[in-house]
Amino acid sequence: MLRILVCVKQVPDVDQLRMDPETGNLIREGVPAILNPLDANALSAALSVKEEYGGEVTLITMGPPAAESALRECLAAGADRAVLVTDRAFGNADTLATSYSIAMAAQLDGEYDLIFCGKESLDGATGQMGAQLAERFGAAQVTGTLKIEQVDEAARVIRAQREVDGGVETLEAELPCLLTIEKKNYPARIPNLKGKLRAKKAEIKTVSSADIPGLDLGRIGDPGSPTKVPRMFPPELPERGEIIDEGSIEASVAKLYSLIKGE
Amino acid sequence: MGKSEYRDMWVYLEVNGGKLHPVSLELCCEARRLCDESGERLIGVAAGAVPESELAQVKECGVDGLLLVSGSGYERYSTEAYTRLFTELCRKYRPSAVFVGATANGRDFAPRFAARLETGCTSDATELIYNPESRDIEFVEPAAGGKIMAVITIPELRPQVGTIRPGTFKHAPTGRREVVEVINETLPCPAEEIRTRLLDYKADERDAELDISDSETIVCVGNGVKDESLPKYRELAALLGGKLACTRPVADRELLSNKLQVGQSGVMIKPKLYLGFGVSGAVNHVTGIDAGTFIAVNTDPDAPIFNYCDYGIVADMDAVCDELIALLKRGA
Repeated sequence: MLRILVCVKQVPDVDQLRMDPETGNLIREGVPAILNPLDANALSAALSVKEEYGGEVTLITMGPPAAESALRECLAAGADRAVLVTDRAFGNADTLATSYSIAMAAQLDGEYDLIFCGKESLDGATGQMGAQLAERFGAAQVTGTLKIEQVDEAARVIRAQREVDGGVETLEAELPCLLTIEKKNYPARIPNLKGKLRAKKAEIKTVSSADIPGLDLGRIGDPGSPTKVPRMFPPELPERGEIIDEGSIEASVAKLYSLIKGE
Repeated sequence: MGKSEYRDMWVYLEVNGGKLHPVSLELCCEARRLCDESGERLIGVAAGAVPESELAQVKECGVDGLLLVSGSGYERYSTEAYTRLFTELCRKYRPSAVFVGATANGRDFAPRFAARLETGCTSDATELIYNPESRDIEFVEPAAGGKIMAVITIPELRPQVGTIRPGTFKHAPTGRREVVEVINETLPCPAEEIRTRLLDYKADERDAELDISDSETIVCVGNGVKDESLPKYRELAALLGGKLACTRPVADRELLSNKLQVGQSGVMIKPKLYLGFGVSGAVNHVTGIDAGTFIAVNTDPDAPIFNYCDYGIVADMDAVCDELIALLKRGA
């Protein structure tokens, strides 16, 4: 039976973030936390594999206890079980520390044949997690997967299409393999009522730093993160451009049109 | 080992089918500037066969040296060969920074070799600053969906790895150095380490509509666009001899292909004329635009987009689009 892991993340809905004009800080209050949209596509791809070849789909996320809601959303869409890696010690982690933490926590439950990730997160948007997790798992990797053509569990290979600049590659990769998923062919699954009910009752396994034998505390959270953010600043706004207002839309557009033609 | 033990900035020279990827030259030019400030040497690093004509272009960007690696395993790209290559080379030569173009393959191996070296990796910086006090590179990039700018550094570890989007920096060669040292390395990657096999490659059927990077006119729709209004913007783009593009939320709505997404995690554009309709002006979008004339239409007079435009109209986007189409059709 294929053991499938899907790595997901709960993110702030960045489109609703606002900056405090006084302090220049981001106002996070009231901004909803959502399942990273591209992770829903990764889950969808994992479920497609399960439907065709059988297997068990395990979710894993790292975040505050509230990240549980993102896991329940994925359970409702069809995942079998979920692991929440949560502990203050994991906080403030960059992609390097996060990849180490997640891989260490995932391996408590043994090895996985296939690992799925979204292409990037809405908030950090580095797109690095897939490759770094693959390194931690010692797995082959297919980043930018358009389509999974075949999984051959006996031969321990997967055949998949990968989007590259200007074309599409068809690759055969050995298992274990990590895939980051393009959303094109794997639309997010809409949970049905039965799924929602099941998700509500599902037990979510929680893992703290103390639960992971051999975890190097120097490699997690802030101490384990080589990248730092020494400062943030509001984007410098240039002077406002010339606003054309000739009294009516017709007149304003006519003015704009003459300006475009004149350039 | 202290970070002062690490010297030289590297740029990965990506070669596909005997041709250098333009981002490699852009990065050489930008890293040249950083090296002039830090007093380090700029080294271009390539694996496999690189035609002399391509190397000549690299030299024009002012590299101090070329590190050319030969051996089996580089005939085509593989995650394993390139991860291994940069891990080994960094351990041997200890560069302070490695810049990699954020192409499909660059983004595939750069984070992985950084993880293997246990060092930091940044992505999609839109500005690079050398800080002479800390001797760190400051990677400046829009964060949190473009609401704020973040400075990212790798203060303790080396090398500082960064992937940079094509088109972020200009290819503006400053000229050849008097001496360009060429180092030849042989570093084969054992075949059994490579765990992916290329079975087939199909070049995209060229859909000119999806190639917006060089278009002279761009009509860009933002999240204000209604699904049913899309055809009129397509028509406007056609009438202007340009192409339709969009912002991230529009691609997220799957209204348009993500290949048409302009900005930091999309395509960098440099049109003569940019018309943004219903675009709010998030930094990660506007950093992707280098326009001759920048026009913005939005109902919200406080939308940041008006701070980036040359001319703006505060009005309903569809009404303005209709009116422009009418004028263009009349050929007035």
